Amino acid sequence: MKPRWRKIFHDLIDNKARTLLVVFSIAVGVFSIGVIAGSYQYISNDMSASYAMNRPANVELRTINFDDSVLSSIRNRRNVADAEARRVFNMRVRTPGSDRWTTLDMVAFESFEDNSINLLAPVAGKAIPAKREVLLEKSALRDLVVDVGGSLEFELPDGSTKIMPVVGFVQDTAAGAGDFLASPSGYITLDTLPYLAQPKLYNRMFVTVAGDGDDPSYIREVGAAVKDSMEKSDVIVLRSRIAETHRHPLADIVNAVLGILLALGILIVFLSSSLISNTLSALLNQHLRHIGVIKLIGGQRRQVFLMYFALIMAFGVLALLIAVPFGGIGAYQLSLFIADKLDFTLLGYRLLPLPFFIQIAVGLLVPLVSGLAPVVAGSRVTVLRALSGDIADDGKPASRADGKRLSWFDWIQVKATRVLAVRGLHVPRPFVISLRNTFRRKSRLALTLFTLTMGGAIFIAVFNVRVTLHDYIGRIENYFRADVTLDFDQAYRIQEIERVLKKVDGVTQVEGWQFMGGELMDTNGNVVENIALLAPPSNSELVQPILVDGRWLRSDDVRKMTVSEGLRKSFPGLRAGDFVNMRVNGRDEIWQIVGIFKFVDQEGMIGYAPFEYVSKINRQANRAFSYRIVTERHDRPYQDAKAEELDKYMRDRGFKVRIAQAGSASLDTAVESLDILVTFLLIMAILTAIVGAMGLTGTMGMNVLERTREIGITRAIGADDSAVMRTVIAEGVVIGLISFGLAVILSIPFTYLLSMIVSVAIFQTPISVVFTYLGYAIWLALVLTLSTVASIVPARNAARMTIREVLAYE
Amino acid sequence: MGKVQCSKKFPWGDFGLFCKLGNFSVYVGMMTVQTLNQRLIELRDVKKIYSTAAGDFVALKGVNLQISAGEFLGVVGKSGAGKSTLLNMITGVDRLTRGEVIVNNGEAVSIHDMAEDEISGWRGRNLGVIFQSFQLLPMLTLVENITLSMDLCGNFSPRRSRQRALELLRLVEIEEHADKLPALISGGQQQRVAIARALANDPPILVADEPTGSLDSVTADHIFELFQRLVMEQGKTIVMVTHDQSLATRFSRTLSIIDGEVGEFPSQTDAKSEDEAVAPPKWRFPWRRWK
Amino acid sequence: MSPRRKSRAVSAQHAMTSAEAMIDMHGVVKRFKNVAGEFTVLKDINLTIKRGEFVSIVGKSGSGKSTLLNMITGIDHPTEGKVVIDGADIYTGVTESQRSKWRGRNLGIVFQFFQLLPMLTLLENAMLPMDYADVYGFDERPARAMEMLELVGLEEFANKLPLLVSTGQQQLAAIARALACDPPLLVADEPTGNLDTKSASTIIDLFEELARRGKTVVMVTHDPALASRATRNIIIADGELINETIAKSLPWLRHRHMMEFTKLAETRIYPPKATIISREDPIENFFMIQKGEVEVVLYDRKKDETVISRLQPGEFFGEMELLRGGKALANVRAGAGEAVETLTIKREDFKRVMDISPITADAVGKIVQQRLEARRAIDSRTGGFLARLRKKRNV
Repeated sequence: MKPRWRKIFHDLIDNKARTLLVVFSIAVGVFSIGVIAGSYQYISNDMSASYAMNRPANVELRTINFDDSVLSSIRNRRNVADAEARRVFNMRVRTPGSDRWTTLDMVAFESFEDNSINLLAPVAGKAIPAKREVLLEKSALRDLVVDVGGSLEFELPDGSTKIMPVVGFVQDTAAGAGDFLASPSGYITLDTLPYLAQPKLYNRMFVTVAGDGDDPSYIREVGAAVKDSMEKSDVIVLRSRIAETHRHPLADIVNAVLGILLALGILIVFLSSSLISNTLSALLNQHLRHIGVIKLIGGQRRQVFLMYFALIMAFGVLALLIAVPFGGIGAYQLSLFIADKLDFTLLGYRLLPLPFFIQIAVGLLVPLVSGLAPVVAGSRVTVLRALSGDIADDGKPASRADGKRLSWFDWIQVKATRVLAVRGLHVPRPFVISLRNTFRRKSRLALTLFTLTMGGAIFIAVFNVRVTLHDYIGRIENYFRADVTLDFDQAYRIQEIERVLKKVDGVTQVEGWQFMGGELMDTNGNVVENIALLAPPSNSELVQPILVDGRWLRSDDVRKMTVSEGLRKSFPGLRAGDFVNMRVNGRDEIWQIVGIFKFVDQEGMIGYAPFEYVSKINRQANRAFSYRIVTERHDRPYQDAKAEELDKYMRDRGFKVRIAQAGSASLDTAVESLDILVTFLLIMAILTAIVGAMGLTGTMGMNVLERTREIGITRAIGADDSAVMRTVIAEGVVIGLISFGLAVILSIPFTYLLSMIVSVAIFQTPISVVFTYLGYAIWLALVLTLSTVASIVPARNAARMTIREVLAYE
Repeated sequence: MGKVQCSKKFPWGDFGLFCKLGNFSVYVGMMTVQTLNQRLIELRDVKKIYSTAAGDFVALKGVNLQISAGEFLGVVGKSGAGKSTLLNMITGVDRLTRGEVIVNNGEAVSIHDMAEDEISGWRGRNLGVIFQSFQLLPMLTLVENITLSMDLCGNFSPRRSRQRALELLRLVEIEEHADKLPALISGGQQQRVAIARALANDPPILVADEPTGSLDSVTADHIFELFQRLVMEQGKTIVMVTHDQSLATRFSRTLSIIDGEVGEFPSQTDAKSEDEAVAPPKWRFPWRRWK
Repeated sequence: MSPRRKSRAVSAQHAMTSAEAMIDMHGVVKRFKNVAGEFTVLKDINLTIKRGEFVSIVGKSGSGKSTLLNMITGIDHPTEGKVVIDGADIYTGVTESQRSKWRGRNLGIVFQFFQLLPMLTLLENAMLPMDYADVYGFDERPARAMEMLELVGLEEFANKLPLLVSTGQQQLAAIARALACDPPLLVADEPTGNLDTKSASTIIDLFEELARRGKTVVMVTHDPALASRATRNIIIADGELINETIAKSLPWLRHRHMMEFTKLAETRIYPPKATIISREDPIENFFMIQKGEVEVVLYDRKKDETVISRLQPGEFFGEMELLRGGKALANVRAGAGEAVETLTIKREDFKRVMDISPITADAVGKIVQQRLEARRAIDSRTGGFLARLRKKRNV
């Protein structure tokens, strides 16, 4: 090895602590980028891929009963790649001995072996049930306490019960998709149907299209053709739904996550480059004397430049060696976390080329770019300056140094202290040292503040966004103001139900609601969207919508409805007053949209129409399937208890209760995904905070390293260990506090930006932002802790140095 | 110029003999009368002014100085007299305020007309610099410290340069430590290595800034003797600045520098003692020694 | 009559009682270790400095004087031995941190490079030690610091940053800082090393004034003119203290040779009136007076005695004979007042050193000349001695 490379080699390995600091500061950035780019890749790729692997149906039709002949005719159709039929019905189920009934959507498969659409992924136990055995979708475990091998008690419509063993758990990624109020599913064979008093007929048709499964209009075309064909066989289609092969139902949420990831990724590149450039310029400052010697013994600028260029590259490569594997693992873990929360599976751990190359580029380019200025400056430095030791601009008293003038900033600092002193306000001098030290290396301070402030601003913003979302969720509660929801298998007269229910303690108000489904069509008559219309009485106080346009329901509304804002996805530019084509009970009608409200539309569209009109077209005047009940108290445990009590109470009186649950239970499912987002944001905030803290530690370390001489002086004139440490820590804390102030200011636009990204992705319009002191308080505590901790190590080192060492440092 | 030298007495015999012959004969060594008379560096009315916040400071007040081949020039002065500034002018390390420093870079040129890299190149070929604080790179072994110099100038192949480095270490009598790190040898030994490094590219001129300043008296003597040998046996030209007046008689030519002005040597007031009269070097405390 | 002998000259110096001692160093050894081996920088230093003394420490670079100073200031710690400052043993059972605290209260340090903190104004620099040592009330400190700045004449620069004042002023400010906590001891490490002559003189004036006010001042310096203004001079060479008598008697010697003499010298003690050298005796030693007064006496034919000179501590005798060879030219005896302590160097050692130290030989020669002249003057009155000397020569 040539001696010059040996020098660089030794620079690398001799001062391990310093090398580690530099490598680590690069690695933190590369790692973060790796995690972010990797998760981006994993999620965007695997989510749709794993979803597509389960062969989601492009067209799903809910029909009246049909048999194999209809199925095979559909299978043979042009444009249909595959078709599968199932029977879906719901049953109340409980673990034997329990009082709690849960409703399951029972799905009977034509054949589990030939299952080729909406595939079930085995989770535990058997993947194929035998006769009189049942598989459970794993989400059912939220409501049911049962293991593989355990049994469940099923209630037949006539009130008798059957017991079947649970032989396995599966994951059905298509389950619940498109149905906001869907129940968890249980899977059985066709042969089991008679046992449960059900005919061996199908009522659902699932179709995958031949050709482009990601083209909605094509799918719609095929769907319409299939529907026509079925209706020609006298199978009435009640509802239809179309879906793209690669579009996960939660894609919107994920897009929000990915959008944030991208923004953070870019930010972290900036943060880590400021960290890296800080560390590198300090490193080169320490090397100035070497540069001077090298130049003095004949080294040319180009040679010096190349040597330090190589050094920086070596730092980059070392950082990559650490950060790339860990970044890969981190990305996989993060994706795994999100995949688990959003119910999809990853395709497995693997090397992702794009993140890999991005990491290499960041690991080499960022140090290069941020180190370029110091390296060029270092290679240009005159031999004199390099050797004179007048390296740090805060170095020696200017006995001979070239033209030193007092900067205005120093002047102001001195002036300010003096003005205070004149007023009798004396700042203790050790603290004056901390304060003025803070501002000595202004570019370094700026970079440190930038990193720490960004971390802080994001951290605070995340808390604000979290509260904003929770606030929003709270307002979504306005759609679920009833304490107990009671659904029956058949419609009962409202007065009767009301009379019965009012006898129960604590029930204060009963309201009967109706439902109807509709299919919204485009101008060509193709079904674009399914909509569930809830029909509360127009004067109901149990729905307090967040209207974004138009008005709420009126009792005399005819073919008028309010719809959720999510519909604007399918009908861009939709406004109150617009008319839409809707197929209701097989009839095409024109409805007017009188109002648009905000809602979480992740699992299908909802709308509201007045009970008065809907009950008329349902021909069930004064009757209702569904009841909303208000009780005395509104807390969740009371609601749960009341729901259970009412269930039993009504059942005992011969009413066919389908489901009884707390009013806000459906809210839980509605907002669950928002919590995932918040958790995810928090992880990101912590990541940026760590990068910021790293930056601060590095800065304090460099500061102490450069000020060893001064620390020696203070020791020589009587500063003990604790005084030295206090001075250093105070400086760190001052930096921390300044960054806090800046972060407070910066967090405001950040909060708006983040909630914008999130809300636009999930809803269509920004939601109103709410601020919370919590984020500020936690960040203040955190930044104080971080800056103290970040200064403690350098401060301890400073205190440990003997004066002799300190003075010998020069 | 040779005359000036011969008018001085030489405490070491051999060179003295040479000098007596100097003007009309040839020394047994490699030097000829001609090279002896050759002017290597010339300072013409060199001024250096530092401006500080507390006012301008004149470090050199119009120095005229010629350095000729083969001489061992000593510049003696107290700290703060401008010794180091003078050296910085000669080595082209610092810019002068006024005047000219003429060096021989193929042709006679003013050093401050050259670009920084050109100066570096010239310095690499023509000058070896020796410091009070040695300035060896701590992470390289002794032999590497020397080969680095050759590596940067590219005059010798890697294999040849190691061989040459070992020869130089032998010359300064420290060959047995060749593969040690600088921290493992004493100050005097480090200074020997620094001298060997200064010789690496076989420059005609060595410039030494208080080379014995941080050494004890015995070691300092050895280093000084080494310099004398280099002048005699290798034909090097050496410019050395020092505060140590006791060395004044041992140079082939001695100048004194007081408050930025260079003059003939015996201008100091009577010394009370050989040791005490001596001003300490600027960086005298061992605790200030740069690692 | 034979004098009591002590083996080593140095030990005689260490006989101070601790009550009046500001600094008492006992058997201090400092060794530095590194991979290359062990270096002994201080070799068994014994030194006592009294209260109110203004002491200069002189030594070449590498002699160990900075290390010696570090031992006094507690900046470094000795490998062996004890250092008692103002009655406090500063190394036994004291941590570095506690020592810092102690130093703040009891010691003012002045550095060669001033070492003012660049981010603080002169006034703030002067207040800082009080903050660290927590002496004087918090509100008194500005006034006290201002008082110190006035003492050094810097009151109008009080609110300037060090950067903006001259180096001399910086050093004055550093002294003000060192005095802030009113320490009994001021230690200065080459305080004038970076200053012009005028500023240096101001600083030494200040030190003299402080010593007059009862402060003990210990200063390392290289400038003989400044060193001579101290009340006491200590020379250190290669980690050992040079006997102060030798340094005073033969200041022209190289430190190396002083050291040699320090090691070779024997202490002899003579009671008052005791004869040290008898005339016509062969002289084998060179004498330097450490304590007491010595009379040089000539007897004329009538046995009347003439005291041709009285020599004080720091003067020497016996040189003439040694340089010229031969027998004593006069009687030398201890003074009447107190016992005389001398340091003696053997003839051959003395001659050897004189041969290699021409400056000393020169200077001693000059003194010989002076003394001979003085004697000639006396001789002309007494008529005896020189006439016989000449006669001898002619023979």
